[in-house]
Amino acid sequence: MNARSTGLWVLTGILLVVAAVPPLLVPVYARTTPTLWGFPFFFWFQFLLVIWAAVLTTGAYFLAKEAYRRDRAARGMRNGGSR
Amino acid sequence: MNGVAFGVFLFLFLLVTVMGFAAARWRRAKTMDSLDEWGLGGRGFGTFIAWFLIGGDLYTAYTFIAVPATLFAGSVTGFFAVPYTIIIYPMVFAFLPRLWSVSHRHGYVTPADFVEGRYGSKSLGLAVAATGIVATMPYIALQLVGMQVVLQVLGLQPSSGNWFLKDLPLFIAFLILAAYTYSSGLRAPALIAFVKDTLIYLVIIVAVIYIPHHLGGWGQVFHTVKSNFDSSNAAAAAAGQPATKGVFPATGVGQWAYASLALGSALALFMYPHSVTGALSTRNRGVIRRNAALLPAYSFLLGLLALLGFVAVAAAVKVGNPPNAQLAIPQLMEDQFPSWFAGVAYAAIVIGALVPAAIMSIAAANLWTRNIYKAFINRAATPVQEARQAKLVSLVVKFGALIFVLALNKSFAINLQLLGGVWILQTFPAIVAGLYTRWFHRWALLAGWLASMVYGTWVAYDTPSPTQAHFGSSVHVFPGTHTGIYIAITAFILNVVVAVVGTVVLRALRVPDGVDGTRPEDYVADIGDEGVEPELNPVQPAH
Repeated sequence: MNARSTGLWVLTGILLVVAAVPPLLVPVYARTTPTLWGFPFFFWFQFLLVIWAAVLTTGAYFLAKEAYRRDRAARGMRNGGSR
Repeated sequence: MNGVAFGVFLFLFLLVTVMGFAAARWRRAKTMDSLDEWGLGGRGFGTFIAWFLIGGDLYTAYTFIAVPATLFAGSVTGFFAVPYTIIIYPMVFAFLPRLWSVSHRHGYVTPADFVEGRYGSKSLGLAVAATGIVATMPYIALQLVGMQVVLQVLGLQPSSGNWFLKDLPLFIAFLILAAYTYSSGLRAPALIAFVKDTLIYLVIIVAVIYIPHHLGGWGQVFHTVKSNFDSSNAAAAAAGQPATKGVFPATGVGQWAYASLALGSALALFMYPHSVTGALSTRNRGVIRRNAALLPAYSFLLGLLALLGFVAVAAAVKVGNPPNAQLAIPQLMEDQFPSWFAGVAYAAIVIGALVPAAIMSIAAANLWTRNIYKAFINRAATPVQEARQAKLVSLVVKFGALIFVLALNKSFAINLQLLGGVWILQTFPAIVAGLYTRWFHRWALLAGWLASMVYGTWVAYDTPSPTQAHFGSSVHVFPGTHTGIYIAITAFILNVVVAVVGTVVLRALRVPDGVDGTRPEDYVADIGDEGVEPELNPVQPAH
């Protein structure tokens, strides 16, 4: 980690936390209404969380890739091993 | 027995058998006589193959049978598999690339290899390896249970005869699996995983559209389930028993159990040796992170599959007398699908058991070979001897699991798998903390591991359910409260407390801390860096 990558790593961490924490807040989504296409809230909300986490993790992937590239450049190492 | 269903099933089973043996020639290396080749498939799998392999590895046939079975039986807690498999990937994203890098640079094949190298402690490595092996064995056994229920619905299990004749089809299926795992190593499940996952996606997507349509739509399904559960709760209350069924965790107690099961299982999953085997078989550092974003597709699928448990309630599926909820999904498919597609569905589940069973036996064999055989028995073992040892042990592990299921009570395997989850989480501090810091003292980690193993085992043994005196539930009352949480989490807290206190004490006493065989830059190394050469070049012809 260095001055040019710290911000990106922090942002990556935030995305990951925001992806992982909502499923643990069970009281928030343990309810039946509103329903969606006949699915109680409890179920469709968790399906939505799957998509939510996947999107955030994808964002984290691109941020981490750039941060990792900058870290390597700062250490004078060549990039390109990881496509 | 239904001839058409059986014919389709047999065709698909034979197809993967041929693929399993042919896998030895796929992405062929000069020699299969090393653990890098046999046990990690040449460490060369890219994003696409890894997605099938890891997905095929983590989402097992037993999951596909057991999760909907809990919903069928009226306990929505089983749906925790969905939040569990959401939480995993952000965590994996954070720490697995570091394990990948350090393992490649040092040629580590197992998580216990890493712990041994990091802490300079064969005892700590042994503790991690032994935990991995004992936690994996019942998991393999449960894959057999998954196959067994399908064979039963297919009518391939005559009710008469001795245990050997009765389970002959299971025996044959496992013998074939053992043979191609022996010859092809990790390449066999990697190749078969394509078939497994394609079939599973196909079957589940068809099932969640086709079957509820016949039952009046999803709204109608949930409505029927709710009234069914309400009446069964009313009947239980009238008989003076607790009303336990519900379509969502309505009470605080249920919600704590749900969240702690999700968190504990997520922390534990990538401590299982078979998960690590999948992750270490990837080609470069980026494959795991890309897969952390892509693997949630399986979680979505698992959620849909879990709901088929409710669909089975709405379809009034009969699961035998005495009732066996695990028959719910195969029986639902038998009742609702035309027989040829039911055959596809059965094949999907059975092949879904073969892939993880193969990877688990390879992972357990790697652990034995590296952290017990090479660490203590034959310290000068060559790569060829290691590969030979691992191949033989993979057979022993599989037949051990087979005898386990056939000769012992099935509930014994289920109890042990419950314990396995509690146990495997206790290797988390040594492995994951070790990826970031050497602050923990090796003996403190060992003490924390031992304390939490004993405590977790005792609590699990001591937890009753309405139907059994011991191993009744994964959830216990957290000491000093009235809140039920996952046993593994309580044991994990004890583990960390002992490790922290122990480290402070041992440091104060200046107890020797072992030699760290790794350097900080090892944890961020990528393919092409010094010592992280590609171990297999698929274009290179075999000699």
